[in-house]
Amino acid sequence: MSAGGSGGGAAEAIPQNKLIAFGAAGGLIAIYLSYFMVQFAGPAFSFIGALGAICAIVWGAAAVRRVASYGLGTGVPSIGMLALGMGVVATMFGLAIGGIAGPIVAFVTAMVIGLVIGALANRIIGMGIPIMEQSTTEIAGAGTLAIVGLSTAMTGTFMFDVVLTEIIATGYIALIFIVAGIAILHPFNANLGPDEKQDRTLTTGFEKGAIAMIMAGIVSAVSAGASAAPTIVIGLAIWYVSFSQYRNYVVRDAYDVVGTGLLPKEEEESE
Amino acid sequence: MAGVLAANFLYVILITLGGVLVSGSVHFVPVGGAPAAMAQATGIGTGTVQLAAGAGLTGLVTAGAMLSLTDSMVLILAAGMVGAMIMIGVTMMVGNLVYVYGVGVPPASAKVDYDPITKDRQDIYVSQGTEGHGLPTVSFVSGIIGGGLGGIGGALVYYSLMSIANGMASADFVGLAAIFAVGIFFVNAVIPSYNIGGTIEGFHDPKFKKWPKAVVTSLIVTFMCAIVSVITIGGL
Repeated sequence: MSAGGSGGGAAEAIPQNKLIAFGAAGGLIAIYLSYFMVQFAGPAFSFIGALGAICAIVWGAAAVRRVASYGLGTGVPSIGMLALGMGVVATMFGLAIGGIAGPIVAFVTAMVIGLVIGALANRIIGMGIPIMEQSTTEIAGAGTLAIVGLSTAMTGTFMFDVVLTEIIATGYIALIFIVAGIAILHPFNANLGPDEKQDRTLTTGFEKGAIAMIMAGIVSAVSAGASAAPTIVIGLAIWYVSFSQYRNYVVRDAYDVVGTGLLPKEEEESE
Repeated sequence: MAGVLAANFLYVILITLGGVLVSGSVHFVPVGGAPAAMAQATGIGTGTVQLAAGAGLTGLVTAGAMLSLTDSMVLILAAGMVGAMIMIGVTMMVGNLVYVYGVGVPPASAKVDYDPITKDRQDIYVSQGTEGHGLPTVSFVSGIIGGGLGGIGGALVYYSLMSIANGMASADFVGLAAIFAVGIFFVNAVIPSYNIGGTIEGFHDPKFKKWPKAVVTSLIVTFMCAIVSVITIGGL
């Protein structure tokens, strides 16, 4: 499950275009697959929506990595919050007016808002980041797909009447907001530095996405349209694999890994 | 869709105004980011977005509480304003206690030689190699103003969204309006944070003069978000 690449430490072992395809196509296909499988085969397949969210989260983390490498002038978390701020507005709009085309309407709306923010950030605020327009567009799209994917995993559908009563009125939307936001912003924030590697950062994205999936599974326990057990079990499996892989990358990239033993009991002993 | 938009166009404008107020208010709040967390820059030791979110969401909660008691727009905006001012004021006061009694540094601004409000000398108290530390009086006052403006902005967005006629059950409506307000709020907190480059001391900081750029950006972006949210809520 790792987004490994060659591991050679090139700035981009996986080109961004492949990640865009992975996130956008993978996310949308998984969301629709989840919806139709739940309709025709039963609520056990609601977990596919969370897989779509993981695709989108990894894509978003890759886009954050690219744009934040230029230096935003403020912390990396800001752009994750921007992604989910744009994403949640676009998602509500898209799902409310889109019907069966809801996820696509939401996705396109988010990307339009993202493009405008990116263009204004460069033209008016003068951030001077050459890929700003593309990155805010990508991040908004990824944030939206993460929200829709997790909502689908929680309820088994993205139809707005169900999402409204089971996700928004209950307040789970706030959980989705912050979990998906952290999953998108945290990978680069945790790995940034001169030795940052794409595969290690993206593996963190998978790991954070798996945590979001487990949470979606717990929430879906109270929903009639979705089933909790497959989502939680598959989420735990993805988390275990990606976290082990992440640890392998950390060991690979570290100069040395040594045990320090237990902390000394008295402060003097440490001197 | 066009009918909904025409009927609620006043609210589109009010939401946009609220977003712009939030965006402008962030320039008043003394944000020091990570350097301030190490007492190496003047301001509160966290990011703009976190502070704006904290103050704005407190404003939203207090405005929401007031909304359950009255329909008066002035009272609701005042509740939002006071809520956000208390939140940011307490944050700054506790921060200053930590800086003074924990870290052991005097509050001092590195951007001005004399505090514009108290006329106290600043430059000789700034530790070498730092950009000031703690929250001097001018930053504290500026932060209170920023909290107030942000609270009014957040409350205005929420009040406008809650005023749109629709056919939803009340619990669904509150949830939807709240999450729209939060989304619009976060976007408008991030835009000025990019404008000031992460840190600002308050209205006496030279970076404060950049506020029109953030306000114009927020005006355009919030207008789009306002149209989208009004169509969504009004159409249900």
